[in-house]
Amino acid sequence: MTVEAISGNIKEQSSLGANRVLEVKDLRISYETPRGLVRAVSGVSFFLKRGERLGLVGESGSGKSTTALSLMRLLGPPAIIEGGQVLLEGKDLLKLSEEQMRRARFADIALIPQGAMNSLNPVMKVGEQLRDTMRAHAFNEAQSALNARIEDVLDWVDLTSDIMDAYPHELSGGMKQRVCIAMAILLRPKVIIADEPTSALDVVVQRQVMETLRRVQNDIDASVILVGHDMGLMAQCVDRIGVMYGGKLVEVSPVRDIFKNPQHPYTQMLIASLPNLESKEVFQGIPGLTPSLLNPPSGCMFHPRCPQIMAHCEVDVPTLNEIKPDRWVACHLYDDKVA
Amino acid sequence: MQLLEAQHVTRVFGGGVLNKRQTVAVDDVSLLITEDKPTITAIAGESGSGKTTLARLLLGMIQPSQGTIRFRGQVLADMSRQDRRNFRRQVQAIFQDPFEVYNPFYKVDQVLTTPIRKFKLANSPAEAERRIEESLQMAGLRPEETLGRYPHQLSGGQRQRIMVARALLLNPKIILADEPVSMVDASLRATILESLLKLKRELGISLVYITHDLTTAYQVSENIYVLYRGSVAEVGSVDKVIKEPLHPYTQLLVRSIPLPDPDLHWGSEGDLERKNQTAKGVGSEQRGCKFADRCPFVMPECRQSPPPLYRTNDDRAVACFLYKENEEISGQAMAETLAA
Ligand SMILES: Nc1ncnc2c1ncn2[C@@H]1O[C@H](COP(=O)(O)OP(=O)(O)OP(=O)(O)O)[C@@H](O)[C@H]1O
Ligand SMILES: Nc1ncnc2c1ncn2[C@@H]1O[C@H](COP(=O)(O)OP(=O)(O)OP(=O)(O)O)[C@@H](O)[C@H]1O
Ligand SMILES: [Mg+2]
Ligand SMILES: [Mg+2]
Repeated sequence: MTVEAISGNIKEQSSLGANRVLEVKDLRISYETPRGLVRAVSGVSFFLKRGERLGLVGESGSGKSTTALSLMRLLGPPAIIEGGQVLLEGKDLLKLSEEQMRRARFADIALIPQGAMNSLNPVMKVGEQLRDTMRAHAFNEAQSALNARIEDVLDWVDLTSDIMDAYPHELSGGMKQRVCIAMAILLRPKVIIADEPTSALDVVVQRQVMETLRRVQNDIDASVILVGHDMGLMAQCVDRIGVMYGGKLVEVSPVRDIFKNPQHPYTQMLIASLPNLESKEVFQGIPGLTPSLLNPPSGCMFHPRCPQIMAHCEVDVPTLNEIKPDRWVACHLYDDKVA
Repeated sequence: MQLLEAQHVTRVFGGGVLNKRQTVAVDDVSLLITEDKPTITAIAGESGSGKTTLARLLLGMIQPSQGTIRFRGQVLADMSRQDRRNFRRQVQAIFQDPFEVYNPFYKVDQVLTTPIRKFKLANSPAEAERRIEESLQMAGLRPEETLGRYPHQLSGGQRQRIMVARALLLNPKIILADEPVSMVDASLRATILESLLKLKRELGISLVYITHDLTTAYQVSENIYVLYRGSVAEVGSVDKVIKEPLHPYTQLLVRSIPLPDPDLHWGSEGDLERKNQTAKGVGSEQRGCKFADRCPFVMPECRQSPPPLYRTNDDRAVACFLYKENEEISGQAMAETLAA
C-alpha cells in the first residue's frame, strides 16, 4: 500500500473520529549532518483521541523525542521537516506562522521535555519561571492575579505555594518534575506531551507523579502522549501504545494487546526482553545493532534482525495497516489481513 | 584484599555562612568491595536519598565529613599523585546525568580519546580507534554514527551509552554506575546489563549499580543497599531484600514497582503523602527513625532514637525497631560479612 493510500485510509476514518484531538500524518524529519541525512522520522502517522493517553515506546534513537519536539515545532536546524501534517483539531501546526505557533505552545499543546527537571533555570526562583511562562502568553495581569493562578496550578500538582520562593536545586527530583508538569498545564492545553517524565525518579515518586498527571489530565480534559522506556509504567498508565523502530511506527495497539498479544516481531522481542522478578541473570536483548539512519536497510527496517524474515522483507517497505479493529501493524507477516 | 571500602561515612552539605540549612546527604554508611570476589552491589532508594553523593564520595570527588574511604587499604585523601592516578584508572564512573557530563562544545569523541591518551591505553592511533569502536559496539552504538557528533546530536539513550562505552574502554577493577541504563529501552538494557555481567564473570570487574529499577537490580546484583534519607534502611543479599523485604520502606518500594502487565494494579494504598514538604523542612533536627512519619507501624520508640541495624539473617540487616529481638550489628561489620 502506498503512502497516499494510508493517508486516505486515515481520512476515511476521521469521519468516524471527530473525537480525534490530534492527527499526525506521514511526518518526515531528517537531520543534516556532514555524513549525510539522518532520517530520524520517516513517515509516521498516528492519531490521539480526546482524553486518551497514548504511550510512545521503542528503541533508543528511534525518533521518539524528535517526533515529540516536532509536534511542538521546537526543532531548529539542522533538523528539516520534510513533510507531513500535524493536525490539532484539524488545524495544521506545521503551517502556522512563528507567532501563531508561539501562542499555541503551552496554550494548546505543551511539552514536558526529556530531562525536563534539569532544564529549569538554576538561578531563577521557581515562581518567577512560572510567571514568565504566563507573561509570554500575554497574561498581562497584576502580579497578585498571576500568583493566584499559579498557586492553583501548584495545588493541582500537590505542591505548596512556598516552593515559588525556592531555587530548583532546593527541590527533590520528584518536586522538580512536578514543577515541570505545573508549567506544562498552566494554560490548560488540549494535548500534553511528556518525554520520559519519570526516568530519574524512584518508584514511589513515579507513582505520585503519574497519578498527578492523570488527575490533572482529567480535570482539564486533556490528552496525553507519554514517551518512555519503562514498560511497567506504560502498562499502568496508558490506553494505547505506539512502538517505534528506526524512525517508523511499527505497531499501534491497545495497551493490553501490546503486552498480551504483540504482533510485530520487534514488539514481540521487546516484550520478551522485559525483566521480571522470577528469573535472574537471563537477558534477552535483541541481537544486532540499531539500524543505521544514514544508510537505512532496504525493505523493512527490522529485517536484518528479524527472526521471522521472509524473502520480500528485504525489498518491500511494509506500511502501517489496520489488521484488526484498532490494531495497526507494519509487517509483511500480516499482508493477507489487509484488504 | 580490600579493593574499595567506605567506613562509617557521613557527608553533610551546607551549614556554612551562605547556606545555613544542613543536609545530611549520607549518614554513617559502610560498604566493602573485595578484590578476590568480584561482585555487583546495587544501591537503591528514594530520589534524594544520597546515592549519587555516596558514589561521588567513593570516587574521591568530594570528601567525607566523617569516616574514611580507602582504596586497597589506602585512605583516598592521603594518596600520593602516583597512587591517585592509578586509582582514577582502576575506579571508573558512569554518571547519572548524560545531559550534564558532556561539554557541549566538544565532539563526543573527546570523552573516549581523553582517557586513552591520559592512561596510554593504546600504542598506536589505529589501536586507539579499534578499542574505541569495540567499546561503542559493546554499548550497542554504531561507531560511524556516533563519532564526530556533538552531544546534542545524539538521543538521550545514545549519550548515556557513550558513558557506558567509556567505562568499558578503561577496563578498570571497579565501575560505579549511577543509573547507567535509565534512558534506554528494555532490550538494550538487557544487552548492556549482560555485558556488565560478562565483565564481572570474565574480567573480574566489580560493579556498584545505583538504580531505581529494582527488577534489574534483582537480576544482576548479589547484594543491595536500600538508602532512606542518607541512612541504610536495609542491606543484604538481593534475594532476601527484594523477595522478602523487611523494612517498611523497602516494602513500600517493592510494592510500588510498576509491573509490565496492564491487568495487575499498580499498588496504591493511600500512603502517598500528598502535599510534599519542601526540601526546607527536612533537616538534621530529627532524632528518631527518619521513616517514622511515613511508617504504618510506627511505635513510640521510633521517635526517640535512630534504629541501629539488626541482623535478621546471616546475609541481611534491617534498621528498624520491629526487628529489635535480633542482634545488633554495625554497618561496617555487615559490609564485611557480605563481602566475605
Ligand atoms: N541534531 C542532530 N543531528 C543529527 N542527528 C540527530 C540529531 N538529533 C538527533 N539525532 C539522531 O536522530 C535519531 C532520533 O533521535 P531521538 O532523540 O528522536 O531518539 P529517541 O527515540 O528519543 O531516543 P531515546 O529513547 O534514546 O531518547 C537518533 O539516531 C539521533 O542520533
Ligand atoms: N552540592 C550539594 N549541595 C547541597 N546539597 C546537596 C548537594 N549535593 C546533594 N545535595 C543534597 O543531598 C541529598 C542527596 O542527594 P543525592 O544527589 O545524593 O541523591 P540521590 O539519591 O542520588 O537522588 P536521585 O535518585 O534523585 O538521583 C539531597 O537532599 C540533595 O539535595
Ligand atoms: Mg528521547
Ligand atoms: Mg542521583
